[in-house]
Amino acid sequence: MIEVSHLSKSYGDRIAISDLNFTIEKGEVVGFLGPNGAGKSTTMKIITGFMAPSSGQAKVCGFDVFENPIEVKKRIGYLPETPPLYTDMLVQDYLKYVAELKQVPTTKIKSFVERALAKTQLTSVKSRLIQNLSKGFKQRVGIAQALVSEPEVLILDEPTVGLDPKQVSEIRDLIKELQGEHTIILSTHILPEVQATCNKVIIIHEGKIVAQETIEQIEKMNKGFVMLTVKTKKSNSIEAQLKSIEGVKEVEVLSLQHYRVKLVEQEDLIEKIASEVIRSGAGLMELSPSRANLEDVFLKLTYGQEKVEV
Amino acid sequence: MKGTLVIFRKEFAGFFKSPLFYFLSFMMTILLSILFSISLDKFAQTSSNAMLQFGTQPQLLNIHYSVFLPHLSIINLIFIFLIPALTMKLISEEKKIRTFDLLLTSPISSLAIVMGKYLAALVTIFGLILVSFIYPIVSRQVFEFSWAPTLVAALGIFLVAAVYTAMNLFASSLTENGLIAFVLSIIFNLSIWFIGALNESFDEPHLKSILEHMSLNNHLAAMIEGTIRTNGLIFFFSLIFLFCFLTERVIESSRWRA
Repeated sequence: MIEVSHLSKSYGDRIAISDLNFTIEKGEVVGFLGPNGAGKSTTMKIITGFMAPSSGQAKVCGFDVFENPIEVKKRIGYLPETPPLYTDMLVQDYLKYVAELKQVPTTKIKSFVERALAKTQLTSVKSRLIQNLSKGFKQRVGIAQALVSEPEVLILDEPTVGLDPKQVSEIRDLIKELQGEHTIILSTHILPEVQATCNKVIIIHEGKIVAQETIEQIEKMNKGFVMLTVKTKKSNSIEAQLKSIEGVKEVEVLSLQHYRVKLVEQEDLIEKIASEVIRSGAGLMELSPSRANLEDVFLKLTYGQEKVEV
Repeated sequence: MKGTLVIFRKEFAGFFKSPLFYFLSFMMTILLSILFSISLDKFAQTSSNAMLQFGTQPQLLNIHYSVFLPHLSIINLIFIFLIPALTMKLISEEKKIRTFDLLLTSPISSLAIVMGKYLAALVTIFGLILVSFIYPIVSRQVFEFSWAPTLVAALGIFLVAAVYTAMNLFASSLTENGLIAFVLSIIFNLSIWFIGALNESFDEPHLKSILEHMSLNNHLAAMIEGTIRTNGLIFFFSLIFLFCFLTERVIESSRWRA
């Protein structure tokens, strides 16, 4: 569906992305992850045909983005970082205009607009001026304009920015709903979002791809270890006791009542820790295991590259 | 072609929804009403005294020269400032509020964007010229005169307005700031009148004749006399083409320029 090969882009002397290679299959939901300024938006802009690469090529649905931009653009719905809204238009008029721009057949425009409004739950504000909407609603209008032409490929640059937690989860549900019918690329630096919605992750750091895996594979990278959060009632230090248990790799003291323990995945080990904490007399309040998650991998691959030895 | 139509409809509706347009049209009609009635009054006086005064220029006794031409030249003067106000936001605003991204990621060519916007502005301005034609039409109820020279002169003004529109669209494409686009447009509109005047300051005959050909004044003067000349039409159309082409290039360049 989307093939990117040896893609590079530099702004003058500054290299934004260099030699990116990846392919995305039909129906996949791919998360672009990376710190600010890693080159996520640049990559997306090139795929949408908004901007030309310095070298390399990108293909969408078999069409080269630069040689056949019109065909590519017909198949893409794009939400840029700043939603492209005409603030002096009504929501429904705006969506109708976007549908016309995307060359939706005249007979289908009305139903497509209605469907985009329904999917983004904007039906109640459809005859209001965009400038009078709140930021969250504006963001949703932005998502609606990307959806309105029912494109095969959806490219969303930070779709949940500026939304409240309820709306964020609504957008996540929406993306899950769209999965299958559309191929979706979304960029974000919010990790739970990727975990919740995507089945593949591409992590970009300083213009290079540092990891390109499915969510399961990423989680496996830290396989064999379990993170354990321990909370106690009294503030006796139990760091030494915890460290003495065989199988415990690291103990991070968040406060005297709150610890994060990294341990080898092993039966009985959690039980052992529990009884050790109880024996110390500190009073066990909470003990919750969690798998090493995307966040750990992400931090390791980007910020902590030089510190953490793998 | 379809893309041009979509852009055209949106921009055309945009003009008629904006208060700025109504304000400008209001100012224009007020100004024209006052000045037209003054010049009509003056014309009536001159013609009633014509018997008594010998040596009155015969042109002053012609309603085409003494009423309609001043009327059209005032429209021209108004357009120098009014067209920039109408066109300043056409492209600069899109860049500023980032809707330009939407246009550039839509399956339409840069040419369609430029043509849609240009035609929308042009039709709006044509509408304004039609409004200003109310004055001669009303006068027709009172005087007998020939329509043809007035229509040709109005066509001349319309072509000049079309040149302004193309230049001002180009100015708007150069910047994100509407105010800069406005000032730049006025500079363009004024300077096109001065280029022709430069021929006075050169002696070299070739240069002089080139500058004479570039003078908007020369070409318009012919039309005001009521004659349509092909070299004039070619001059106007090539200016329009040149600036639409430049605008298209500027839009296209944002695809590859960082």
